[in-house]
Amino acid sequence: MNVLDIAGLRLSVGDVPLLADVTVRVGRAETVGLVGESGSGKSLTSRAALGMFPRGARVTGHVTAAGVDVLAAGRGALRDLRRTRAAMVFQDPRASINPVRRVGDYLTEGLRASGVPAREAAARALDLLDQVGIRDPGRAVRRHPHEFSGGMLQRVVIAGALAAEPDLLLADEPTTALDVTTQAEVVALLKRLQRDRGTGMLFVTHDLDLAAAVCDRVYVMYAGRVVEEAPSAGLFRAPAHPYTRALLEASPSARGERAEIRAIRGRPRSLAEAPSGCSFRDRCPLADDACARKVPDIRPHGTSLVACLRPQEVTP
Amino acid sequence: MKARTLSVWAARRALGAALTVLVATVVVYGALRLVPGDPVVALSAGRRLTPEQIEALRHRHGLDRGFLQGYLSWIGGVLRLDLGTSLNYQTSVMSLITGRLGVSGLLILYSATLAAALGTAVALVSAVRGGVADRIASVLAAAATATPTFVASIALLALFSIGLGWFPATGAGTGPADRLWHLTLPAVAMAIAAFGVLARVGNAAFAEQLGREHVVAARSRGVGTAAVIRRHVVRNALAPLLTVVGVLVASLFVGTAVVETAFGLDGVGSLLVTSVSRRDFPVVQGIALIGIALFVVVNTLVDLVLPLIDPRVTAGGPRR
Repeated sequence: MNVLDIAGLRLSVGDVPLLADVTVRVGRAETVGLVGESGSGKSLTSRAALGMFPRGARVTGHVTAAGVDVLAAGRGALRDLRRTRAAMVFQDPRASINPVRRVGDYLTEGLRASGVPAREAAARALDLLDQVGIRDPGRAVRRHPHEFSGGMLQRVVIAGALAAEPDLLLADEPTTALDVTTQAEVVALLKRLQRDRGTGMLFVTHDLDLAAAVCDRVYVMYAGRVVEEAPSAGLFRAPAHPYTRALLEASPSARGERAEIRAIRGRPRSLAEAPSGCSFRDRCPLADDACARKVPDIRPHGTSLVACLRPQEVTP
Repeated sequence: MKARTLSVWAARRALGAALTVLVATVVVYGALRLVPGDPVVALSAGRRLTPEQIEALRHRHGLDRGFLQGYLSWIGGVLRLDLGTSLNYQTSVMSLITGRLGVSGLLILYSATLAAALGTAVALVSAVRGGVADRIASVLAAAATATPTFVASIALLALFSIGLGWFPATGAGTGPADRLWHLTLPAVAMAIAAFGVLARVGNAAFAEQLGREHVVAARSRGVGTAAVIRRHVVRNALAPLLTVVGVLVASLFVGTAVVETAFGLDGVGSLLVTSVSRRDFPVVQGIALIGIALFVVVNTLVDLVLPLIDPRVTAGGPRR
C-alpha cells in the first residue's frame, strides 16, 4: 500500500497548463526524490498531495495521500489529512514559521487543532524539540523564531511536522536555504526520524546529487512532466533520459574524477512554453524530427522508466 | 537580559518624544516673532489697548527680552500649565481649552472607533474574499479617502438631519446617551476619510500576510481558516495598522476644527477657528501645543506597544 499515489495528474490555471500526466508513488518507509529545475512543477506536485492548489486551478487525475482521496475530499477530510496523516517541511524555515509568535505556539497549534489538551500539547512540544536535537527545550518554546539560527529553526519545523505523526512526509527543498554543514545535519535528522517511524518521504530538490544520496528512487521532472523514474543508483550509473544525463554533467562531482562541467544550452521551459512533442527537444543534443511528432510514452530501459524515443543513445 | 534591552529601547523612545515636543514649542513660540512688524500689533489684533495692557502683553510673551529669554519665560509658564490669557475672552487659555476638551475628546474617540472598526472589517473581508468584493471595497475606500470632511459634513446634515430628521443638526446634547446621539453625525463625517485610509492600508497589510509562506504553511498543517486568519493574518497585520491608527487619531484632532464649526459644537476645534479669525494668538498657541502633545503622545504609545505585537521590533536595536 502506497502512502502517496499520484496518477495522471493534470493541472492548469486558466489557459496555462502547469502539470501534464504526472505519476508519482511513494511506499511506506520509502524515500522518493522529485528532482527538476525551477518551474518544472515539482513543488506543485508535492503540494497536490495535501490538496493545496493555486487559486483557480483545474485539476484532473488521481491523488491518494495516506489513504485519503485528495481530489474528492471535502474541507473537513483535507484538514484531517493535514493534521494527522501528512505533513510538509518547507524550504525556508524563516518564512514558514510565523515570526511574531513563539516557537511553542507553532508546535502546539497543530496538536491543539486536532483536539489534544493544552497541557498535553505543551509536553509533546518539549518532547518533539528534544527529539530533533534542540537543547533546553523548556527555554526554546518561549523564544521567537528570530532568536534561532536557520538550521535550528528547520529542526523546529521538522518537529512540528512530526507532531502529527504522519504516514507521509513532504519535504519541499528542506535544505536549500541552509548552510552546507547544516544541510547534512538536517538531512541526517530527516532520514533518522523517517527510519524510526516508517514514514514515507517525498523529497523535493533541484540537487540531483543530494537526491541520489538521500532517496531510494528518484523521479526527474521537466516542464510539468515526469521524464524519468529510476532507483537512485541506476540513475547515476546509467541515466536514460538526455535531460537526466545533462543534469548530471552540469553539476560538479565531489567524487574525485575531474569531469568537465557542461551547462545545458537554452533555459528551463515551463509546460506552457514547451515545444510540441518532447518538451526537452529544443535543448536536446539528440533530438530529430521524430521527437516533434508526439509526447514520448514512458517505457522501461535498463533500470529506468523513461519518456524518450532513443534512450539507448543516452546510455547504451 | 531581554527586559533590559526593552527598557533601554523604551527610554530612548520617550527621550525622542520629549525632544520632538521641545523643538515644536520653539516653533510655536517662534511663530509669534516671525509675524511681520511689531508682534504686539498681531497680539492685540486691532483692539484698543491701554499702554499698561501693551506692556503686560510684551512682558507675558517675552517681547521685552531676547528670543531665548523670552522663550524660557514663556515655556516656564507652559510648564506650570499657564498658557496665558485669551485676548478675546479675557480668561485663562487653559480653562478655555480644558472646558472644551470633553466634547472634542469624545468626538475624536467616537470617530476613531468607527473608522478603525469599519475600516479593518472592510479591509479584511475584501482581502480574504478577493474578486468583486475586493474591487467594490477599493472603489469605496478611494471615494471615502477623497471626500473632504466639510463636504461630508454638509451632505450628512442635509440627508440625516434636515431631510430625514434622524439626528440633531447642532449642539452637543446633555447626558451620555443624548451626547452620543448628538455626536454621531459629526463623528461619521470625520471618520469617512480615516475609514478610507484604513480600508486601503488594511487591505494591503492583510493581503500581504495572506500571501506569506507561513500562512500557506499553517494551512498545510490543517489549521482551520478562521484560526489562520485570526492568528496569522490579522495578528501579523496589527503592527502596520496600529501605526496608521496612531497617525489618524492625531489628524482627527485637526479635523475637529471643520466638523465642530459645521455642527455648531463648542469644542476645541471650533475654539481654534474662532480664535484664528479673531486673531486671539495665545489661544491658537495653546491649542497648537495641545495638538502637538497629543500627536507625540499617541505615536509614542504606539511605538511602545509595537514590541509587544512584533518581537522583532526591538531586535534591530541595540544588541544584547
